[in-house]
Amino acid sequence: MRWRGALALLLAGLFVSGLSGAFAYFLPVALVAYAQTGQTTRGATAASPRPSTGTGADALVPPVASSAFTVLLMGSDDDSKFPSDAVLTQSMILVRVIPATRHVTMLSIPRDLYVPLASGGEAKIDAAYSYGQAADAVATVEQNFGVRVDDWVWVGLRGLVKLIDYLGGVDVTTSNPVLDDFYPADLENSDPYAYKRVLVLPGPQHLDGLHAMEYVRSRHGDVQEDFGRSQRQQQVLRALEAKAKAVNALDIPGVVASFSGEFKTNMNLSNISRISSLLSLASQLNDPSQIEQIVLVPPYTSTGVIDGADVVLANWDAIRPLIRQYFT
Amino acid sequence: MIRRRWSAPSALALVAITSVWLAAGAGVYLALSAHRTLVAAQASRPGQRQNSAAPLQRLPGTLYLVQAGALYRLQHGTFTPLLNATSTASWTMPAVSPDGRSLVVVQRDYEYSDLYLVTTSGHVQAQLTHDASSTVELNHWALYPRLGPDGTTLWFDYDPKDVYSDYNVVMSVWSMPLGGRPSQMRKWTEPHDYTGGDVQPVPLPAGGVIYTKYALEPSRNRIMGQLWLTTRAGSPGEPLTPPDDDCSQPAVSADGRRVAMICTDGKQLTNIEVGGFDGTTLGPREVLVSGQLAAQPTWSPDGQSLVYLAAQGVTGHFQLWLQQVPPLPAPPTEAPTPVPTRPAAPPRGAPVASPTATSTALPGLPTPTPTPLPPPVQLTSDLDFDATSTIAWHV
Repeated sequence: MRWRGALALLLAGLFVSGLSGAFAYFLPVALVAYAQTGQTTRGATAASPRPSTGTGADALVPPVASSAFTVLLMGSDDDSKFPSDAVLTQSMILVRVIPATRHVTMLSIPRDLYVPLASGGEAKIDAAYSYGQAADAVATVEQNFGVRVDDWVWVGLRGLVKLIDYLGGVDVTTSNPVLDDFYPADLENSDPYAYKRVLVLPGPQHLDGLHAMEYVRSRHGDVQEDFGRSQRQQQVLRALEAKAKAVNALDIPGVVASFSGEFKTNMNLSNISRISSLLSLASQLNDPSQIEQIVLVPPYTSTGVIDGADVVLANWDAIRPLIRQYFT
Repeated sequence: MIRRRWSAPSALALVAITSVWLAAGAGVYLALSAHRTLVAAQASRPGQRQNSAAPLQRLPGTLYLVQAGALYRLQHGTFTPLLNATSTASWTMPAVSPDGRSLVVVQRDYEYSDLYLVTTSGHVQAQLTHDASSTVELNHWALYPRLGPDGTTLWFDYDPKDVYSDYNVVMSVWSMPLGGRPSQMRKWTEPHDYTGGDVQPVPLPAGGVIYTKYALEPSRNRIMGQLWLTTRAGSPGEPLTPPDDDCSQPAVSADGRRVAMICTDGKQLTNIEVGGFDGTTLGPREVLVSGQLAAQPTWSPDGQSLVYLAAQGVTGHFQLWLQQVPPLPAPPTEAPTPVPTRPAAPPRGAPVASPTATSTALPGLPTPTPTPLPPPVQLTSDLDFDATSTIAWHV
């Protein structure tokens, strides 16, 4: 009897120890899930009343079919030029996911797009996040584009660099030589206004996090300016998606740890079905035609100067049919 | 008060059980860690493991390749390191002299790069350019060196400063005598502003240079590459490929009669294509490899095969591949009109089971009878060559 008891104790202890080991392994995920996901948008949902802007807010698309959903991806340079909670969004990409047809649409919103902000007044759309973080950024996109944003994800630059490095880099066919003599050297320098020379060579290659960041962030030497940069951002996003296909559940703690403080989302465990459908869809996207990439170049937009600043002006008559086609 | 007395065997058993428990916890943690995917697995260094692959050993001549900023020589299947990367500088883009006795290699630093003349055993003989400056924007890039057929003229890319716009940094093709002074530099091409410019010059035996010119393609709203030929310094030049095909990385066979290149059609995956070249125009192109992220096609000295780099596996590391090239078709009885454009989009972008090679006849053009090609041969499996660096191959 004593031996049986000892054996039971040993086995129970083994079970508990193993569980503890697994718990320790996934602890970073739990901590981040607690701290950085499930963030509220302070009522800034499509259903919230908001002032009329005459730019599409009144034409909000009704909630989409249960399976399809729209995610707003935001990326910021979180250097010390701005307070950490008032950064600009250098990148805003609306992603429409239709799991039933395995189709994804990515629409890059120009950062200099001059629009009415949800917080009041008019400004470049990249300022929306700085005034009211994700809530205002989401609301501003919703009211101007007339879409319902179901979920949002914000990533800091350092987080993206670390993520790409954790995944061992991304494989990209860079479109052309990207040369920039005034590229911000804020990630490796305490001076937020420091700059450096950057050269990303053209053609197929394996980019680590830093060089992938240089490729998607540089815009001084691009004839298309921010539009060219948006194309490059979508390109690297697709390369990341391709890399993510190889990732399994045991990689998640490492992925999460690489973000540490550089990642926020409103998605939480209650969105598990959406998250799993996203992951499942990512693994099934083998045909390039399954991903539609849209950049709002002319005639969807034009350039102008307002208060001495170069801005991008929307041609809503051209944009709205596009939105209706891909985001409803 | 009751005192429990532990016997020595009981105490030992308790210690043993506790140890087993601790080991179980740590073991589960380590086992989970060990079963992560290998997406970020490190590549081996060339030469770190003996590569007994027969195709690699059968490669004729000597190849020079770059991995992680270090230059390697590949001879009879054996890799030998020639130049190692430093903490700030890396070596890249080797070009071998026509006599095979020396190399011109780029040393790329943080914000500039310079060309160096190096022996084939890796001894630096001379620094050929001096592009460093303490003022950030006054640094220069010198890239893609090539030696002319006579071995005395150096061709390369260089980024002259735009006096009207600091933001317009574009490269153009230059030449100068090997070992010459900066004042002897001649600008050959006029690049489009804000595109990256003209890169990858390949001097031709008959004079002139083939290179990649980048330009905004209005119909696609993106910058795309196009092969161009310029026969004298400063002349406008002529396109060899249509802009829509997004072709780059030209490689000219030793006899100068064929040009290999990569073309993407603006997509991510690349084709390796080969076209006949009569000195002024490019004939119909044949797709040798498709459906891969392939780069740097490089002719064998005898012109019968190409090596190239292609990403492989979940790591995406670039491995060395070999592809046989079909022989040149017999000259047509009636000279075909040189056509630099293809009238219809061929099925080049269509997914092809990688790495199956195809010999695709391009529609609407005089083509040889399609010849089944042997599939490409993967020569390395655990390395990670720099796909932005040219490969040099000499007998």
